[in-house]
Amino acid sequence: MSSLGIRPLALGIVAVVGVFLAVPMVLGFQKPFIESVQHGPRGVAMGVVYNDETLVTNAAANKIPGYLPQLPPVGPKASAIYKNVQVLGDLSVGQFTRTMASITQWVAPTQGCNYCHNPANMADDGKYTKVVARRMLQMTQNINQNWQPHVAATGVTCYTCHRGLNIPANVWVDTSTGPGTDTGMGFAAMTPGKNAPSAAAGLASLPSDPYTPYLEKAETIRVIGNTALATDNHASIKQTDWTYALMMHMSNALGVNCTYCHNTRAMADWSQSPPQRVTAWYGIRMVREMNVGYMDGLAGVFPEYRKGPLGDVQKVNCTTCHQGVYKPLYGVSMAKDFPELQKVSSANGGPRLP
Amino acid sequence: MAMLSFEKKYRVRGGTLLGGDLFDFWVGPFYVGFFGVTAVFFAILGTALLAYGASLGDTWNIWRINIAPPDLKYGLGFAPLKEGGIWQLVTICALGAFCSWALRQAEIARKLGCGLHVPFAFSAAIFAYFSLVVVRPILMGAWGHGFPYGILSHLDWVSNTGYQYLHFHYNPAHMIAVTFFFTNCLALALHSALVLSALNPGKGQVVKAPEHENTYFRDIIGYSIGTLGIHRLGLFLAMSASFWSAVCIIISGPFWTRGWPEWWGWWLNLPIWK
Amino acid sequence: MSEYLNIFTRVQVRGHYEVGTPLPGRDNAERTNNPPIFEYWMGKLGDAQIGPVYLGTLGVASAVCFMIAFEIIGLNMWASVHWSPMQFLRQLPWLALEPPAPKYGLHFPPLSEGGWWLMAGFFLTTSILLWWLRIYRRAIALGLGTHTAWAFAAPIWLYLVLGFFRPLLMGSWSEAVPFGIFPHLDWTAAFSIRYGNLFYNPFHMLSIVFLYGSAVIFAMHGATILAVSRFGGEREVEQSIDRGTAAERAGLIWRWTMGFNASFESFHRWGIWFAVLCPITGGIGILLTGTVVDNWYLWGVKHHIAASYPALWGPVIDPATLPGAAQLGVVK
Repeated sequence: MSSLGIRPLALGIVAVVGVFLAVPMVLGFQKPFIESVQHGPRGVAMGVVYNDETLVTNAAANKIPGYLPQLPPVGPKASAIYKNVQVLGDLSVGQFTRTMASITQWVAPTQGCNYCHNPANMADDGKYTKVVARRMLQMTQNINQNWQPHVAATGVTCYTCHRGLNIPANVWVDTSTGPGTDTGMGFAAMTPGKNAPSAAAGLASLPSDPYTPYLEKAETIRVIGNTALATDNHASIKQTDWTYALMMHMSNALGVNCTYCHNTRAMADWSQSPPQRVTAWYGIRMVREMNVGYMDGLAGVFPEYRKGPLGDVQKVNCTTCHQGVYKPLYGVSMAKDFPELQKVSSANGGPRLP
Repeated sequence: MAMLSFEKKYRVRGGTLLGGDLFDFWVGPFYVGFFGVTAVFFAILGTALLAYGASLGDTWNIWRINIAPPDLKYGLGFAPLKEGGIWQLVTICALGAFCSWALRQAEIARKLGCGLHVPFAFSAAIFAYFSLVVVRPILMGAWGHGFPYGILSHLDWVSNTGYQYLHFHYNPAHMIAVTFFFTNCLALALHSALVLSALNPGKGQVVKAPEHENTYFRDIIGYSIGTLGIHRLGLFLAMSASFWSAVCIIISGPFWTRGWPEWWGWWLNLPIWK
Repeated sequence: MSEYLNIFTRVQVRGHYEVGTPLPGRDNAERTNNPPIFEYWMGKLGDAQIGPVYLGTLGVASAVCFMIAFEIIGLNMWASVHWSPMQFLRQLPWLALEPPAPKYGLHFPPLSEGGWWLMAGFFLTTSILLWWLRIYRRAIALGLGTHTAWAFAAPIWLYLVLGFFRPLLMGSWSEAVPFGIFPHLDWTAAFSIRYGNLFYNPFHMLSIVFLYGSAVIFAMHGATILAVSRFGGEREVEQSIDRGTAAERAGLIWRWTMGFNASFESFHRWGIWFAVLCPITGGIGILLTGTVVDNWYLWGVKHHIAASYPALWGPVIDPATLPGAAQLGVVK
């Protein structure tokens, strides 16, 4: 037969390619042994499933750092000693210094005070980082005071997001459209924000930027109708893709799955949903307020190199705080030892439109 | 006795795997055998347990009855009867009945001098069930990971189990299994239609032989696998569908705990793309 | 106690290349008889002969339409990764040709915004329908029943429901399925989510029953025929008309197992009905979704089929219904 010479060659190529693919594919799986936590009635398969190795990694990555002990409110107030203290002026000098040292440890441990301050004049607002830091303090106070339905008494500190980094490891900018992403392919079909591996949606081909519509703008997330028969719910399948992408983001951000907040037989039904869904609902609104009321307002403050290709500032999503864990830092409260971060203490500390 | 005209000469003794001549007889059209007895025992006991479980619930509505496995806290131990113990016993009965059935099929095949393909095929279905309620629960450390026995409740389990991995369609073994199921369905339609079309060619036409069947498939798709080959293919497709279904659920949890789309990272990160 | 079980062909006998039943007129010339191809490994499973294939006007037209659709889809996917061959391969499972946006309804959108999708759909549909005609006409030409064409019509029905009938009833092409590997899976998942859980759609239930049923049926049938192949059981047409010991034993396998058996002919009626009812019922289920039923779970509740589970936590209420909810997170 004519194909006799070709066959060994073809078989060889197939074998080589097969091995080349099979090895990384098999290594792509996780080693067995898991922990599972039931999160609903028995037999309904509501619950979270964790690989043991992931749990070890997460536990190590989400330890809280040691921090300075609280000081008594004795001595003169910071506002009396230092100039231009707009947010923390009611603290005693000792308390104020502790807060400043803590922020340095949390946000700029390598650069130190000078990351935000002009060493020649600590009161100078010349560095953009100082202006941003002040606004972030106000944001932290606002979260702890006004968003207890999401952060509860645990609260947040700078460390919740920053973890020793100048910029939190997980932030986003609008990349959905714009100069960098225009296909420039003439009349070839556009793939509007989807049909490519989406990091936001855990590598599904779902929309790549569910943040802009839902975590900055307040587009409608709910697509499921609440009547059995068709009436006036016109949400499309395409719109559902976007909601799905947001939900994928939330699941991955928290290291949980859909059943953590839904009995998926009836995704929309609150009466069958675990209470965590309520917490998440407030979280979406909280993140929106952080992005619109704080981050967007800093557009004029951030230098260009801190902005995305469309000129928008870096913003937060669920991963920014949660970092793969159902409660940031496994729910250990650092904020309780920083009462100055618990209450809005300046007149203009609330969220405002940019 | 309900016997076909030609049946009597086939009803001979022997071929049993167990029990010798003890249960080597027929009841009506049914062959009994040792495994017939065990199958009936397990089936009746299992059904009675299901009925008992249903009586503990709040409904006799067939769609809503739910016999659920234990809570995860019982791990791989026995649970109290009313808290999943019934499910555990029903599972034992089901496996006992299914395996008895397969062994009875083997006895019947031996008695008729036929190949053992039928029990072999059925074992693929048993394997899929066994994977769902035994292999995966053991690998995950609790019987509570088994699926509940109820018409709608088992669908709820499938839904939640799927969404535990965010988007189950990205499970590679699930993709393979679904492909085999669809291909099997198409192949069954084509094979059945071809045989019927040869046997029922329409008014005034004579019944056609396999030469025509071969010609027809060569004409339309360029290949005819033949009368023997199609049955090998069908058996392969059907058993593969079952086998890969079992694989797709065994890997979900024990070997992958995250969203299935994320599993495809290995492909996106192959060194060749660098 | 080794025993011969028919699994694959051990000894291959190779005769001459079968050119097919002779037909009057120019039909024979449409068959591609050269070169005669035999493939040893195909012979292990079934017939070793590959081809000939019948070309014919319908076949060629169908193939051309298919190629056009294939090219439109492939080139648009390739364009979406800036014509990078490497990224095309790498991202291929993620890429898609997407139907138009909802705002275009049933109108013809610009090429770049769904026009290509509409065109690909048109050519793919034309290709499939021409193929259907072709297999219908081949059956007539060979004096066979047209069962195969009607069996093939069942999946075509499902395809048309997904891409044509339902979008038409919904008044929007955007409802249709994208052409793409992962994207069509996303569509499927989003479809179930949007319409409140497709598992509660009774026609989906039926479709799955017939899908699994088809696997059971083909496993039973394939296994039975192989089990009696030592008696010539694969000669189904002959045994249907003139029953031999293979058909008798095959029948008794099931009569003794479950008290009932099909005949060599009637078995194929079971087969074809299970197989075609899978896409037929599935298509009905899809067609009703969004047009008649908006939330299948609630439909199930209405018809008393949803199971009830114990409540494990206090009442959870929709925070959006609380006073002031609409203002939460809205910056003034």
